[in-house]
Amino acid sequence: MKRIALTVSAILLLFATAEPKQKKAQPKKQEATSVQQEAMKVLMSGFSTDPRFTWKTQQDEAQRICSQYPSMEAMPAQAIQKVIQLSQADLRYPQWGIFWGDWREGKKIVENPRGGRFASYGFSDSPTDKGGNCYACHLIEKGMPGGTMGPNLYQYGKRWNITKENMNTQEALERVKAVYNIIYNSWSAFPCSSMPRFGHNGALSPEDVMNIVTYLLHPDSPVNK
Amino acid sequence: MRKKALLAIFTAGAVAGGLVSTKALAQTEELTPEQEIKLVQEFNRMLAEGINPGEVWYEVGKDAIKKYNLDKCDLGLGPGVFKGAAAQLPRYFADAGRVMDLETRVGWCLQKHAGMTQDQVLKFVRQCWGKTGNCVSEYDGIIMYLTMESNGHKINVNLKDPKVKKMYDVGKQIYYARIGPWDFNCATCHAGKQEVRIRATRLWSADRPGEAGNAVAIFPKYLVRWGLPMTMHYRYAECMRQMRWPEFLPHSDLAVALSTYLYATGNGTEIKAPGIGR
Repeated sequence: MKRIALTVSAILLLFATAEPKQKKAQPKKQEATSVQQEAMKVLMSGFSTDPRFTWKTQQDEAQRICSQYPSMEAMPAQAIQKVIQLSQADLRYPQWGIFWGDWREGKKIVENPRGGRFASYGFSDSPTDKGGNCYACHLIEKGMPGGTMGPNLYQYGKRWNITKENMNTQEALERVKAVYNIIYNSWSAFPCSSMPRFGHNGALSPEDVMNIVTYLLHPDSPVNK
Repeated sequence: MRKKALLAIFTAGAVAGGLVSTKALAQTEELTPEQEIKLVQEFNRMLAEGINPGEVWYEVGKDAIKKYNLDKCDLGLGPGVFKGAAAQLPRYFADAGRVMDLETRVGWCLQKHAGMTQDQVLKFVRQCWGKTGNCVSEYDGIIMYLTMESNGHKINVNLKDPKVKKMYDVGKQIYYARIGPWDFNCATCHAGKQEVRIRATRLWSADRPGEAGNAVAIFPKYLVRWGLPMTMHYRYAECMRQMRWPEFLPHSDLAVALSTYLYATGNGTEIKAPGIGR
């Protein structure tokens, strides 16, 4: 009973929001939405119906917005704002608060390329694999080969002048928080960025993310040597 | 004489496949630095000597086409007319009521002329998926044969057909669809004017002229690390696995939409199969 009521209200809501849009829409715009809907239908029809994948087919609102634009430059201000708002509302922090973690643990996750890949025919990661595969896109430690899709993170902490003396000041911890937010949910700072929202999607825990931040910023970390 | 040469090539391929087909690799695809070095050396040697073991699959396919009655298969130029046929795909097929790319059409023909069920076709398609070392699939052979029959022909997808154009639009939209727990879309890696690398791999981009065409025109592509040719649909499946997407179904409309977008973007590029890669 409750479910029916919920569905009915959801449908009503859909009509309420959809109708004024349709009235205003130019024919060209209508065509664009129909291609979008068709694309989602075709996309879903191309996936295995194995129940293990069902959760992966749910597109959230931020993803839906980002799917409409080829790049951030092409996004209207309103869409940018909406993605930032959705992403900031979702930020969660470690049990121990916004404070340094263990850079050695962070290093392990940064260097581990495995995690989250699964196919029934093989080449799958194990459920316990927990990697950020950061070197795929970033250059991080001196001398380690990496990709160029993301910014170079070599001596990231040093660039923000984080030293043993000032690392526990409010200013330094603000920096820790800012970097944490980018890794936990990159779209909170760079809407629709290529970088996965590691924390938001649950690929990494808040503690994992903080350990990575520590690896990037801590004066003892090899990143800043 | 030709057979002998092919045998030699095949042995080379087997050696290359055997090189990296350790037990660890059967489950993973990450290489140790030593394996990586061996692989690069083997790849460079093949490139320098102009050896492409992928060509062996042409002969495999030639036999398989007879075996599975595919000489009755119509790729759009008439039953059994294969010269240049792959170059004009994807196209609309009235008998199937669908736009189809090469692999989807072959799957349809296998059901129609070889009496396979859809499940049997899927099994047939994926028999070597996830395998490293020596796995020779008749399906890979068929796709290799049919593609190589179009070598030298230029890709010519007919976007004037509204049904094909619609698939192109849908494919382009899908190219930018962000889903899955890692938020990827095709464009994450394969779009943009600026040239970027993922680790050591330079990525091609649909936004840089000619690159999409060059990327698709060499499929099926022989992969030295697996010792077998990778068809386009296997490539899609592997992309989606790495994107943490749900598992891809070959011969689906999703595959056709992507192929329509990619091949039409590559219109005018000469088909040069098989390609070779690490």
